Amino acid sequence: MTRTDLWSRVEPLLAGVERPARYIDREWGAAHDPDAGYQAVLIYPDAYEIGQANQAIAILYHAMNALPDTAAERAYLPWVDMSAAMRAAGVPLFSLESCRPVREFDLVGITVPYELTLTNVLETLDLAGIPLRATDRDDGDPIVIGGGPCVYNPEPFAPFFDAILIGEGEEAVAEVVAAHRGAKDAGLSRHETLAALATVPGVYVPSLYRVLRSDSGELLGVEPLDAAPARVAKRVVADLDAVRPPVCGIVPFMDVVHDRFGIEVLRGCTRGCRFCQAGMVYRPVRERNADSIVRDVMAGLACSGYDEVSLTSLSTTDHSQLEEVLRRLGRRLEGSGVSVSLPSLRVDAFGVEMARLVSSGKKSGLTFAPEAGTQRMRDVINKNVTEEDLLGSVQRAFDAGWRRVKLYFMIGLPTETDEDIAGIGRLVSRVLHTAREVTPPSARGSIRVAVSVSTFVPKAQTPFQWDPQIPAEEVRRRQGVLRESMPRKGVDLHWHDSEISFLEGVIARGGREVADVVEAAWRGGAVFDAWTEQFRLQRWLDAFESTGVDPAAIANVERDEDAPLPWDHISAAVSPRYLRAERAKALSGVTTGDCSFDGCTGCDVCGELGVDIVLGGASRG
Amino acid sequence: MANGEFRLRVRYGKTGRLRWLSHLEVIHTLERSLRRAELPYAITQGFSPHMKVAFGPALPVGTAGLEEYLEVWLTRYTTAEDALARLIAATPEGLAPEEAVFVGEREPSLGAALTIARYEIAVTGKEATALQVQAALDSVIGEQTLAVVHKGKDKVYDLTRCLPEEARVSDSEDGSVISLTVRMGPEGSLRPEVLIRAAFAAASLDASVATTTRTATLVETKEGWARPM
Repeated sequence: MTRTDLWSRVEPLLAGVERPARYIDREWGAAHDPDAGYQAVLIYPDAYEIGQANQAIAILYHAMNALPDTAAERAYLPWVDMSAAMRAAGVPLFSLESCRPVREFDLVGITVPYELTLTNVLETLDLAGIPLRATDRDDGDPIVIGGGPCVYNPEPFAPFFDAILIGEGEEAVAEVVAAHRGAKDAGLSRHETLAALATVPGVYVPSLYRVLRSDSGELLGVEPLDAAPARVAKRVVADLDAVRPPVCGIVPFMDVVHDRFGIEVLRGCTRGCRFCQAGMVYRPVRERNADSIVRDVMAGLACSGYDEVSLTSLSTTDHSQLEEVLRRLGRRLEGSGVSVSLPSLRVDAFGVEMARLVSSGKKSGLTFAPEAGTQRMRDVINKNVTEEDLLGSVQRAFDAGWRRVKLYFMIGLPTETDEDIAGIGRLVSRVLHTAREVTPPSARGSIRVAVSVSTFVPKAQTPFQWDPQIPAEEVRRRQGVLRESMPRKGVDLHWHDSEISFLEGVIARGGREVADVVEAAWRGGAVFDAWTEQFRLQRWLDAFESTGVDPAAIANVERDEDAPLPWDHISAAVSPRYLRAERAKALSGVTTGDCSFDGCTGCDVCGELGVDIVLGGASRG
Repeated sequence: MANGEFRLRVRYGKTGRLRWLSHLEVIHTLERSLRRAELPYAITQGFSPHMKVAFGPALPVGTAGLEEYLEVWLTRYTTAEDALARLIAATPEGLAPEEAVFVGEREPSLGAALTIARYEIAVTGKEATALQVQAALDSVIGEQTLAVVHKGKDKVYDLTRCLPEEARVSDSEDGSVISLTVRMGPEGSLRPEVLIRAAFAAASLDASVATTTRTATLVETKEGWARPM
């Protein structure tokens, strides 16, 4: 097996690029086994400082390095200055630990974290010297496998991957590696190898499926060839405590986006907000138990030397043992200068209480996500938060000494009227008023209310997957209504670019034809699209035109509930019947409870996959 | 000890690949190393409590350092040898600590005390012999002042003050090596690359800086220049 070390060709490039720490490896906790028989490289397709903090890659890195005779290294997409220098010098994309060409590895894993990273995926493959399309690769090329949040509609990037892992990877990777190694040992051809990978539960091999269309171009379905399964169901880890998270991971030199020790405390969320793809696809809820969490936090801090630990999940303040965890950590960490942080809080007294437990003197800001401005709208999206909850939380927070609050909202939701949008401004006014009321007059000057309003993008596998996305022009009109409704002073308002939201929407629910658009956009120079200074809408408009794909027909049109969807062959195990029922309830403004605490709501995930809700480390049964 | 704290001064290097770290990245890395070493560091009082630690003058991205210093205040006594051993075990190789001593609380801060920096700069190019480079340097240094534009602002360096020793150049395999000593001051320090590039430009020399290493940071005492430990 060739093992090229590119460092002597990489180092001379570093003096001419920004932030060379992105490319040097040697972080605390980074190690590799150059002698392992099977070598994989895990790639987050964005700059180092974005990708290094990603917990999913950290979990897979840890899991793969623990497999016998197997080693995993990392790679990220070099920034534009470095990739230009690399191309000029003929240096291909390299892994960090051994500075080895990505193309030399047995397995290349690329996560797809967000719709606008697709051009980065192509840039990664191109820099590596791997053919963009799976069908163009031969036996000398590594197997390229994808994963991550976007896999629940993988069609826009399916042609670029040999295989795509749907769902949670920590158990599945062992099976993927075993299947691949078995195929190599048996001397199987590339096609036979992919067929072998397709037998691993949760692995989708796009080349084994064809997209069927009617004469008028309507989608009839994505159908398997040969023996591939008609539907690929996601993988789920039944018991999170059975798999120890990476505790002694890599500590980057650079300031990365989340510069602290992150520990996952639970997975899944069953509040059932209807717009939320994560809530639908990460079911069921599985909590880690308090003992594991406390043990792993202390071990992780000792290993890493971080002064902050973040308890991460989709909804940490819903963890049934959170108060116990925070009190125990508070005692263990007293006087150490180490702080605990929570991602956004439940909008109620409990949320604020938990924030108080972790704040020590310094109170930065609290984050709440009411999402909609009127109760009617919140009921439609099943965000079970009342105005009373929100104002009560704000009152408690400012009473306790906080001076800054951040609020997240969305516009463009189904059934939304201008009245609902104006409701956002009215609600924000009441928040400001409440905050001022309980703050001593001398401190009122430091009150900050930040409001971030994104545009709703309907996602696959959610009750709103059939709904049209509001056209960009209408989004801008509604943003105008929003601005008019806001208090004149005291509020920092941010909203998302309507064109970027539109593009997200096209990719989120497009079919395999969108892959041609992505490639055309990349060839036209699109890369790092998620970075505002790099994004150029025109490249995408040109790509839609040259490929003949109509983006509005994908994003802005209401879909027939009985018509085939481009992702029907990928299952998050939530039944379509449930999604339809939830959509009907949404249109009537009827809410649904949280099955972790109220009764089962009938989404079928537990039955389909043979798993269960796990609270406090105990299966609910 | 004034407030029950013990002031530990540590000498470390910034070498190998880690020469590519910025000063801030070095600081964050060493702070985490101190935590991993489980040294009983003191925490500052006040609004935003943090580790009580201080660092010597900054090294830019790409510049290595052989004798750099930090100080950390400890709340409990441990021998300097013990502290050093634990710190070595918890620090990435490229920032390895080498020596540690306790210093008195009244000692001036590292920032104030360390005013002399010695550098070795490797130069390559078609016209990079010791003779050529020395001539170019001597010419610019002979002007006694150097004007540069830094971040949009004009700065004038008094070279008689900034360069307390003669610059010496010797031949090497790939070109030549410049030994330069710079006096650092509160008004700002002359970066060696700035002086050298100005010299090459003035002489239209086909030469460039390959690597820069700060070989020592020193204090000025009555008896001459010395290590701060």
